[in-house]
Amino acid sequence: MSLVQLLAYPFMQHAVLAVVLAGIAFPLMGVFILSLNLIPLRFAMMHVALLGGAVGLFLRVDPLFLGLLFCAASSLVLGPVSEKTKMGLGTLSGYMMTLTLAIAFILFYKANIHVVQAFSILWGSILSLTLWDVVLVIFVSLLILGLVVLFFKEIQAILYDREVALSVGLPEKKLYYAMVFILGLTIAVSMRMIGALLIDAFVLLPAIAANLVSRNLKQVFFFSSAFGLISGMGGLYLALVFDLPTSSTIILVASLIIGCCILYQRRRVFHAKAASK
Amino acid sequence: MHHSIELEDVHLRFGHSSVLDGVTILASPCELVAVVGANGAGKTTLLKIANGTIHADQGRVKVLGYDLSREDDCHSARKEIGLVPQRTISHRFPISVEEAVLMGRYGKIGLMRRPGKSDHDKARESMDAMGISALANKPVHELSGGQQQKVALARALAQEASILLLDEPTTYLDADSSSEIMETIHTMHHQRKLTTLLVSHDPRWMDPYCDKIYLLKDGKSSLIRG
Repeated sequence: MSLVQLLAYPFMQHAVLAVVLAGIAFPLMGVFILSLNLIPLRFAMMHVALLGGAVGLFLRVDPLFLGLLFCAASSLVLGPVSEKTKMGLGTLSGYMMTLTLAIAFILFYKANIHVVQAFSILWGSILSLTLWDVVLVIFVSLLILGLVVLFFKEIQAILYDREVALSVGLPEKKLYYAMVFILGLTIAVSMRMIGALLIDAFVLLPAIAANLVSRNLKQVFFFSSAFGLISGMGGLYLALVFDLPTSSTIILVASLIIGCCILYQRRRVFHAKAASK
Repeated sequence: MHHSIELEDVHLRFGHSSVLDGVTILASPCELVAVVGANGAGKTTLLKIANGTIHADQGRVKVLGYDLSREDDCHSARKEIGLVPQRTISHRFPISVEEAVLMGRYGKIGLMRRPGKSDHDKARESMDAMGISALANKPVHELSGGQQQKVALARALAQEASILLLDEPTTYLDADSSSEIMETIHTMHHQRKLTTLLVSHDPRWMDPYCDKIYLLKDGKSSLIRG
């Protein structure tokens, strides 16, 4: 069966649409993670989703839906709580990560939940996305794109230096909380798409590559989206042609892009040094 | 007498330790006031209180008539306050000098609006005044400490602030650069008729330039000159 013929199937249409949108939008959140050092938040969200899944299985409600709901709710309160308690977001994320894991394991034990079934929330699959999943990807992607386009200058100031953003009179806290909330949603939806352990493929790796070749923040956002789209579509294509796991091929393409960007950056530094001599 | 900056009998505790214990700092319009003290004396905290970033537990904090115990007033006051933080940016963040200076306009432009021609003109004019126009396209993280201080000063100029708060402006600078930065601050202060409050652990550079000098020690302030 050719790739064009495959596109006639709804599961394939869902996958392509999700990869295009997530490829363009999700790496923009990777830029936030790198600039604000929010990597612990990503791990915390994985565990919060696991707790949501465990509660879902316990209550016989869709575990994926509850996983998403728990992530959305916790990302909404994480920012303000970290400010009020004066605990950094990283410390609070670590605390949340272990606490949610402990509660999840108590639920597994007491409610006799099959652990593998609960952990399945952490393994995503692009090729098994439902229409509801795609609607979620569209919603979160539009939210991210709207945030970055409408609030570019405010985001630029916050990523550069939160204290400077506050001191020039921007509502820095509200915007920062909004960024953390949308980041939580992005991580939750990414988990459904490619699995918690491979979120980096869509969120972080394209942003890392873009940081290597960009001279200003607009370029960082543009290249993050471009690299996200290329690695998403390229990975999906390779997975179908060579019958490989999609998440892995997306990561391979994204890693290849990072390798090229490192070479490009080294070449640029070499030429700059030569010119200065 | 009317003061642009009024910190009166300010108290602040962090947990069980008292950081500020009845501090009073007053700055009249167009005055250049320094607060000197050892490292850890609470100088940066004091500056954050004057900027509304930290709220005092007790005491009166007013800047340009805004009551900084109220969040709404803090937001309005910050648009009139140019802050030059102590630290320099060393991480690789892709932002040029011109963009960093233009940020001074962001609070006045308003949310979701893009900077217009007048904002860019103001940023260029501020870079000219600080003598950093030649660095306009250079990434900020590649600049020296002294150059980054000038970028922060240019941002405060672009902001058209009437209050200038400076945190240890001569830290990390050698003697020549410290003297140059203090000259620049002094000139900017007089030309723009600013009210300036700066904190420093090094009183050497304050004496020739400041109208008033306070000493901050053991959580208490005392006027030592002016």
